[in-house]
Amino acid sequence: MDFGFSDVQVQVQTLARKILDDKVSPATLARYDEYQQERFDRDLWRTLLGAGLPGVAIAERHGGMGLGFTELGLFIEELGRSLAPVPVLTHCVAAMLPLQQFAPAALQERVLPAAARGDVLLTGAFWWGQPGVPDDPVDATLEAGGLRLRGCCEGVPFALQADKVLLAARHADGTAIVLLDTAAEGVGMSPMQVTHFEPHYRVELQDVLVPAADIVCHEGGEALLDWTRERCIAALCAQQLGAADYAMRMAASYTSEREQFGVPIATFQAVGHRMADCYIDVECLRLCAYQAISMLNEGGDATTEVQIAKIWAGDVGHRVSYACQHVHGGTGIDRDYPLWRYCLWLRYNEMTLGNSSAHSADLGSRLAAGQALFN
Amino acid sequence: MKIQFTEAQRALRDELRAYFSQMMTPELRAECERDMGEGGGPLWREALARMGRDGWIGLGWPEEYGGRSLSPLEQFVFVEEVMRAGYPFPFLTTESVGPTLAEHGNDWIREHIVPAILAGELLVSIGYSEPAAGTDLAALQTTAVRDGDDWIINGQKMWTSLAHFCDYTWLAVRTDPDAPKKHKGITMFLVPNSDPGWSCTPVHTLGGVRTNATFYDNIRVGDDHRVGEVNGGWKLITSQLNRERLSLINFGPISELFNRVVQWARETTLPGGAAVASQPWVQANFARCRTLIECMKLIVYKQSWAMTEGTLGMADASAAKVYGSEGFIEVYRYLGEVVGQAGLLRSDSAGADALAGKIERLYRTSSIITFGGGTNEIQRDIISAAGLWMPRASR
Repeated sequence: MDFGFSDVQVQVQTLARKILDDKVSPATLARYDEYQQERFDRDLWRTLLGAGLPGVAIAERHGGMGLGFTELGLFIEELGRSLAPVPVLTHCVAAMLPLQQFAPAALQERVLPAAARGDVLLTGAFWWGQPGVPDDPVDATLEAGGLRLRGCCEGVPFALQADKVLLAARHADGTAIVLLDTAAEGVGMSPMQVTHFEPHYRVELQDVLVPAADIVCHEGGEALLDWTRERCIAALCAQQLGAADYAMRMAASYTSEREQFGVPIATFQAVGHRMADCYIDVECLRLCAYQAISMLNEGGDATTEVQIAKIWAGDVGHRVSYACQHVHGGTGIDRDYPLWRYCLWLRYNEMTLGNSSAHSADLGSRLAAGQALFN
Repeated sequence: MKIQFTEAQRALRDELRAYFSQMMTPELRAECERDMGEGGGPLWREALARMGRDGWIGLGWPEEYGGRSLSPLEQFVFVEEVMRAGYPFPFLTTESVGPTLAEHGNDWIREHIVPAILAGELLVSIGYSEPAAGTDLAALQTTAVRDGDDWIINGQKMWTSLAHFCDYTWLAVRTDPDAPKKHKGITMFLVPNSDPGWSCTPVHTLGGVRTNATFYDNIRVGDDHRVGEVNGGWKLITSQLNRERLSLINFGPISELFNRVVQWARETTLPGGAAVASQPWVQANFARCRTLIECMKLIVYKQSWAMTEGTLGMADASAAKVYGSEGFIEVYRYLGEVVGQAGLLRSDSAGADALAGKIERLYRTSSIITFGGGTNEIQRDIISAAGLWMPRASR
């Protein structure tokens, strides 16, 4: 049992943090508030691609670094710390990883190296699922040339910016997974305005033909969906950890300097203790998120551990967000001070892919069925 | 980073689990129940000595003390398993005072006392609190005064738990009444409970557990019974308390209790025939407990790992103590709700059930843990100062 970081892991963290510290600041983030601009920093994205970070968990033969999900998770934690406007969760976790795991070799060779270079931007339509209520697949019919799709996918981040969307399509014989070309005839996009200003879209498909070469699997797509959902959840937990830790440290530092009654307000036990509770909360999230990531990295069953991490990510995000705002007083909600953006992200990560209550209900029913006990 | 047991650690856990399931005979279990889960009885003593002979107590200790030189993580797995088996393991002696004695003790202590602890033959109670010194421990008034080569000790301690069957007391005394800062005038001693000047009277608590007031009347000890520097006792106290905070949070018994209650709820039916576990509120309680205990497990494993690496921080030891102690109480409550009215019956009552009776007792005994080992308010002060660098009010 090893809770430490390897040299390579420290290098990934350090590299990511250096680039993000250089390129992301409250001033750069302010450009995207209220959808003034599309929240996608392409200059930062090119720098990250140049450093190889989006391909950290992609095999070297596909142009990646050849490391694992743990390193990708540590990179994503840094993105949470900085709230960087880049499509890492969608491109890397919701698309590249499942393609690398499930796609036929020819499709992998065609897409993954280009995706690792950044020549092709990918996304996945897997972000609206809840425990027991997965994303509804679009309808499909089998044709000689491939699959014909109709229907719509809700809440696909970066769909308009992406070249291809990985999505599930249900047809008479089962569930297929396809890599949809966003330029194909019949694809429409309507922007959705989300609480944290990330570009999300409703993707509408009117009799869109996906050629056979872009089909990841014809049937049995549920396995890919489950596999991908767990990794997306773990990635959200890592992002939540980075954001919660950063917001907490901002509050600790603010209360150490802000004086009332002639003393820093941090010296009041009521304030110190609330921050101590945040510290414990963030530590719990850290441990559960790292455990989930580490177990997924090893490839074994991590259903319970991923679910528990998401419950913590939801609860901790909520509690830390409100505690940090509260001890900041009015400053915490002032848009000239950077805390408010963290609160929006903490909320988004809390509710996405299953909130704490929904996951708890699912965990409870699994326990009642004799699963997920301690061993 | 790899947050999973290694094969060797898994094998060790399985070996320990098998060992303890065989060690916990019905007679020993009954004796431990009778002693309110505290130990001290003859079968309990015999089992402790057997664990010592079989080399388990010193698993993670250096070989020079009779240990096996494995890491603190393996040591923790041992304590987790022995407690999961229902044996009230004297972890304060072995896991918190023992290591402090090994680190700071003189030759006599390291050659005689520490090996006897690892052999399961010597138990130490802790003498810190006094009637007027609790959270403000440095206000303690028990004294040791030099008399030639010896020291003469006088005073009274409170809450000296387990003292009535321990061999020594790890005693904090004032040796410099004029020290400008009161915590700089404190020295640590190891005082034999067999001394004629030593006495104790029981204090009975809500949980049914006995603790003690202990009295020190002109006890003469040699200077070899002193531990650490004269007037340098405070850092030994804080080092011991850091270890104690961690060893108080043991998730072995609580994960076992959780599994048993879930199993019970799956097998027990309501009047209509549905299983207790089929009720949504029961499932909600189970999910809460499962989520909470999972983190308890990770916190203690991480700290055992940090001890191996030599990086255990004060904030994290305090965080474990706060989280664990408040978590235990919550879990006992949620599981108590599941077992229902049976959870109000004392285990020797008509109609009592062993599992529910255990929860009845745990709920009563658990109120000590939020203030024992350093009250949680002080722990939160430590966390905000040492973990988040926040300034503290002067006291």
